[in-house]
Amino acid sequence: MDQCAAVCLAFPPEDLLADNQTYHKAVGVHLTQLSKLLKESTTTLVTHGLQLLELMDPAVKSLSYLAVLHTLLIPSVSAPRDVVLEKLVVFLLSFDSRSLRYAGSHLLDILNLTPQLLPPSIAVQVLSEAILRIDPTGSMLTSTHTHLIKLAYTSNSIHPTLLQVIDKPIVFYPGMANQSDSDVVCDMSIPPPKYISKDSALTVVLKPAAVLEYDLTCGLIYCAQRDWAKAYAAFERVVTFPTREQGTSKIMVEAYKKWVLVSLLLKGKVTPTPSYTGPGANKVYETLGKQYTNIASLFESDGAQSLKEAVDADAALWREDGNMGLIREVLAAYQMWHVLNLRQVYTKISIPEIRQQTKSAQTGNILDKDEDIETLIQNMVASGMLDGITEKHDDGTKFLTFLPPSTALSEQQLAAELAQTATRLKNLQPVFKSTGERLGTSKEYVRHLVKDQRRGGDKDNDTMMGFDKQVDEEDLMGGITST
Amino acid sequence: MADSSQLLTFFTAMDNQGGLVIKDAPKLDLDLYISNYTGRTRFERLFSIGQSSVVLCVDALKAAVTEAKRGKDVRRYREAWECIRVAAPNEPEAQFDQAWADKTEKANKLETHRLETELKGYKNNLVKESIRIGYRDLGEHLESIGDLTAANDNYTRMRPEASTHAHLFDWAKHAIGISLQKRDWSSIQSNINKMLSGSTGEEDLKVQQPYQKTVLGLANLHGEKFYDAAKCFLEVELSVCQQYSNIMSPNDMATYGGLLALASMDRSELQSRVLDSPSFRNYLELEPHIRKATSMFVNGRYSACLATLESYRADYLLDIHLSRHVKKIYSQIRSKCIVQYFIPFSCVTLDSLDKAFAKPGESLEAELITMIKSGALKARIDTVDKLLMAISTDRRAEMQANALEAAKNYEKEALERIRRMNIVAADLEVKGTARARAGLGGDQWFNETRRQMNQGEAASG
Repeated sequence: MDQCAAVCLAFPPEDLLADNQTYHKAVGVHLTQLSKLLKESTTTLVTHGLQLLELMDPAVKSLSYLAVLHTLLIPSVSAPRDVVLEKLVVFLLSFDSRSLRYAGSHLLDILNLTPQLLPPSIAVQVLSEAILRIDPTGSMLTSTHTHLIKLAYTSNSIHPTLLQVIDKPIVFYPGMANQSDSDVVCDMSIPPPKYISKDSALTVVLKPAAVLEYDLTCGLIYCAQRDWAKAYAAFERVVTFPTREQGTSKIMVEAYKKWVLVSLLLKGKVTPTPSYTGPGANKVYETLGKQYTNIASLFESDGAQSLKEAVDADAALWREDGNMGLIREVLAAYQMWHVLNLRQVYTKISIPEIRQQTKSAQTGNILDKDEDIETLIQNMVASGMLDGITEKHDDGTKFLTFLPPSTALSEQQLAAELAQTATRLKNLQPVFKSTGERLGTSKEYVRHLVKDQRRGGDKDNDTMMGFDKQVDEEDLMGGITST
Repeated sequence: MADSSQLLTFFTAMDNQGGLVIKDAPKLDLDLYISNYTGRTRFERLFSIGQSSVVLCVDALKAAVTEAKRGKDVRRYREAWECIRVAAPNEPEAQFDQAWADKTEKANKLETHRLETELKGYKNNLVKESIRIGYRDLGEHLESIGDLTAANDNYTRMRPEASTHAHLFDWAKHAIGISLQKRDWSSIQSNINKMLSGSTGEEDLKVQQPYQKTVLGLANLHGEKFYDAAKCFLEVELSVCQQYSNIMSPNDMATYGGLLALASMDRSELQSRVLDSPSFRNYLELEPHIRKATSMFVNGRYSACLATLESYRADYLLDIHLSRHVKKIYSQIRSKCIVQYFIPFSCVTLDSLDKAFAKPGESLEAELITMIKSGALKARIDTVDKLLMAISTDRRAEMQANALEAAKNYEKEALERIRRMNIVAADLEVKGTARARAGLGGDQWFNETRRQMNQGEAASG
């Protein structure tokens, strides 16, 4: 027991090693000892595990803590279960990610096990925290992401931290080719793909379906939050997912259907899919999403009755696709959008006129009372959808005044807004850099460069353009057209 | 004079066939009108007036029958006779002249046969020019007896035999003549191009310009390209146009040019290209009310301009080329008037607009709404205070919104591009398989994951 404690407490030493190389070596030594310990004295660890955990601060002695916790949890949870699980939660909420980059497989074991051990609501929270702890930028998709989102969606436990995780734009994926591994893993400045990979075992390699499903589920969660803008973006990521050789996944079609409906809720209309959508996918969307695009065109027209009929006619389909809820939202939004569109024609319009001019798609008729319209308008104003005020005329008729679109910002405000965007773009710098590095050292690019040099001086200044061309040929951009 | 009940039967039938029925009396004098034209278009015009104008029906149909009998086209005679038989059975023209029909048909057959034999002879002699003439004569004969398709075939064969530009022009005019009668507007465009493609001489082009502009204008009119059509008509010289009375009269030129310009040009353009144009001014003298309407529009007297045009609506509806487009042209002129009327104001009461444009007792609101929706009128309605307000665009706010939007899009696109590159690098694209090409790939793993999700749900629940 004492010997175990000695090994466990040995790392990190009191004088914290800031230098990456030294740190790397020290971790190496500690890991050898730990694994020896794990191999030789498993029973001691199991019996005295809890005592050992008491001795250690999970935020500092994370490696040892993880090792002990791992033995206590796998293959089966040792008694007393409650205490061990409590330790697990504490650990996941506070571990030191730098050292744990060296113990990816153990950490991943525990992360994978967490959903089965803890109640879903807690599991979602601690997993979200853990993901952000491992990779604070949250820009890399890992297998833990996919487990987490499935768990959160199926158990309907949406935690604010989860939203933080899924709000992060994902730009890195496991298994990216041509990662140079010259850096030491403990370097805190390296981009996430360098320390989260199959080799570091912090994630397993994902299949396209898992990636698609992650974004689809993100969209569903945002729908549940009624955050249409984010849901729209998430579905769009699935709809425009890079494809090759006319490939289309069924998940993409599912996403397309939801994308159409959410687009109606968000913008009141459907815009064509972005230009970089796979051509094969577009064709499939056209055929399989026909009912949905039909709904969309009816939504934009004046025929509330026909929209209602079209919805009723295909009720089975909506139910089968799991879109009944969204369809109901669309029906409810129909009248609101038509009230909003009156903005294009009127500056002021009386409530009775609005009632005559707009129909509810829920009933297919105009509303019965002026009061209903008033409530509708007040709801729209309250939700920020409509920029207007209702007033009362001298003769008692109430009317709605559409306010002009947002007044000009002051020079400072504008500058601040632009500066914010600039900062966000600057924050992308590391991502740019790592992508640039990766592409710059890729075999294809080097080969191209060599070929270019051999061809002679006339194209010397043209390497960038040549690269662009090369990109086109390679289709590295997956169909994005240059702007 | 024919019985009104018979006329009623006739026009009910016309109406049912989708024809246009015009009840208002037009200002034109039929004899004077038709004397402007020559050739086959005379019958066409008389016949179409007879079919659509209630007032001129019988006179026009009678004239059409006479016109048909003067020619060789038995089918036309029969058509006209069938109409007059219903509309005015008591007229002498309502008796079918079987003797004339038989005689003419026999003569036509003989003539066709003669020309065909002649052409065969020319072909054997291999003289290019006489072959061309042979085709032309046969084509002209077939055209005059109403066999347009066969005539067109013969004209088409003329083209390879053409050896000079003059021959080419001759061919094109014949072919276009057929297209005009068959109302095949798209082929006119291509034939005109073919006609001018070979010629290099300035002289040639200058001589052919009026013809080319005239038919091109008609083709554009029917293609509803009003601005292009107006430009064509405005460029035609007066002196030459009279040659083309088998197509249209100088009066028509003035009407078409003026109306279409009103519908498609703005005030300064109207002033410079219509009122101040030295060549078109001569045309306008033939149709003074068009000039009046145009100058009223330019001077801002919109309601007077509209009233003038309105009084001629029936005439224009009877014109074979204009009739189908009158409604659209008028509504374009009208909405232009409203837009122009509104320009100097930031705010106008709906009452004053009604006074200026609406028929008494009617409101303009519905029309305004359509115009605003289509984007023709940049204004908003205030139904509470009954006002039409101009939109005051705040350029600054617009610019700022655009700048922010651009910045946002840039960021979004940058991220999206990197994301896509990395997806490709990680070899995660959705790949097509044979199955995918047939329909859908990947449902297998989708269902698999769904099952997993369900299991997860069961486990967690």
